[in-house]
Amino acid sequence: MLEIIDPGPQATIQDYPGRIGLASRGVFPAGPVDDLAFRLANVLVGNEPGAAAVEIPTGKFAVKAHFRGLAALCGTGDPTLNGAPVPKWEAIELAPGDVLACAASAGAGFRLYLAVSGGIDVPEVLGARALHTMGGIGGLDGRPLIRGDLLPVGTPTPRRLRVPQSLRPVYHRHWEVEVVRGPQADPEFLTTADWHEFTTARWRVNLNSDRLGVSLNPHAFAWAREGAGLAGDHPSNVLDASYPPGGIIVNGDVPTILGPDGPTSGGFTVIATVARAALWKIGQLRPGQDTVRFRQIGLDEADALAAHTEFALDPRHLEPR
Amino acid sequence: MEQTCRPAGDRHLLVEYGTAELNLSLNFFVVRALAGLTEDPPPGFVEAAPGFRSILIHYDPARTTRSALLDHLAALHDRQPDIASLVVPSRRITLPIAFDDSATRRAVELYAATIRAAPYTEGGNNIDYIVAQNGLPDREALYERVLGTEWWTAFTGFAPGLPFTFSLRAPTGLSVPKYNPTRAWTPEGAVGMGGPCLAVFPVESPGSYQLIGRTLPIFDVLARNDVFAETPFLARAGDRLRFVRVEEGRLAEIRRLVLANRYTYQVQDAPFAVADYLGRAA
Repeated sequence: MLEIIDPGPQATIQDYPGRIGLASRGVFPAGPVDDLAFRLANVLVGNEPGAAAVEIPTGKFAVKAHFRGLAALCGTGDPTLNGAPVPKWEAIELAPGDVLACAASAGAGFRLYLAVSGGIDVPEVLGARALHTMGGIGGLDGRPLIRGDLLPVGTPTPRRLRVPQSLRPVYHRHWEVEVVRGPQADPEFLTTADWHEFTTARWRVNLNSDRLGVSLNPHAFAWAREGAGLAGDHPSNVLDASYPPGGIIVNGDVPTILGPDGPTSGGFTVIATVARAALWKIGQLRPGQDTVRFRQIGLDEADALAAHTEFALDPRHLEPR
Repeated sequence: MEQTCRPAGDRHLLVEYGTAELNLSLNFFVVRALAGLTEDPPPGFVEAAPGFRSILIHYDPARTTRSALLDHLAALHDRQPDIASLVVPSRRITLPIAFDDSATRRAVELYAATIRAAPYTEGGNNIDYIVAQNGLPDREALYERVLGTEWWTAFTGFAPGLPFTFSLRAPTGLSVPKYNPTRAWTPEGAVGMGGPCLAVFPVESPGSYQLIGRTLPIFDVLARNDVFAETPFLARAGDRLRFVRVEEGRLAEIRRLVLANRYTYQVQDAPFAVADYLGRAA
């Protein structure tokens, strides 16, 4: 068992890729907002990359081990084991009674992931263990973790790894995120100047951001259309359609990057979509502090970057400990 | 019918049918084409989710090429039967509604206090705004329009099991602008309108629709009522909703009975013949 002593602002149980197949019922997959740090943490302790683990916004948490095994912490923050600093990005040994903890991170990045060997063994709900916060689906009893929760831990596979420094993701305060243009961009929806502005401006990450979405600062686009006809009174509106995860929707003047628990559909234009290789960065954007610039890439480059991101997740590319 | 494909990132493709018009025939086509897609999925297919006149396809770029996907979609499109010949699997679901209830009023007041006092929050409700926007004489005229038609579930989405519905009686004529900016909190069971669309909120969530009242739970992952025994989602694309007016006290009582599994939802199988609808609409 893993005992939650301090769940921080909103620690949750996640797995990857989460609940695939329910988009048509209005359920986004949930899963970690930063799937890269999450999967690395699992691989380090011998788990399948998608095994259930803990997502910790701000890094602030404390847990006590009631088992003997391995743990790995990937993401932001300066964690401690029984009060002494402990490295991230590598598997560490846990004995019964050990306390792992971390204060809210002062450095770059926004989320910390904790994986334990064997994974967190809560029941699957609708095919996954990941907590979908809006729907109250999965996790432990359909809610974020609270003090005193006891999380069952599964059976481990022996393996103990470390991520070489060169393969660790680098966190920033001013981010650059790769996007694919559209599905509703220029010249039909936005003007060419709007698109240029979108891909060159520094966008501020709004404090009001969570697992549903990351909002950016308001910006008055010129728009290529007068209105939206039947779809509404603002040119940012379209007849309701399904959204891709990582889609950047615009409601009036506010762009929002859709997160893993976000709305699956709606009546707003999706002006760009975060490339899957860059989705992890959205989980590390610090609300109220960081900025982000969007860089347009084509589909070929998106595929190449995805292969690059996946490279580090192959245990053969990691260092045994 | 015209078909427009738009890349939506590097693993989704948005396929739009027809032009941007509020024509339910486009949606009947989508409901049928989506079924065709799941019966005969292209290589690399992961899942698909509909919109009013579109389908978003999630594919695995490692297992297919985008051109193979487009070819498959073109063939699927050409194979679709004439819309008028469709009989869509459908159910009639009757739900009680309490107009201008205290939960939705609370949501409006909270928005006005914490986000913005807008023309649509005057009087602490959205109903008067919808009435004024549509040139109706009074609230009763709005309620009659809502109660006097069946609402076609064009698709579910946004939140778990949320039905986006459109009037099946030749247009109700109702239409209303959405919130701008979005409301942070909407109570579970709230009924709202955005544009010509009516929706029921399955969980507490953000929302941008103007609220008119409240109904029963339509999503329950804990399956506290037998209607959720097989799936936690009450409504599915193709279902028709009808509302029956009740007082708020009665709604609260029924909501309690639902959770105690002592209320039977009114759900009837009733396949939907598109030809009949087109005949009526003509």
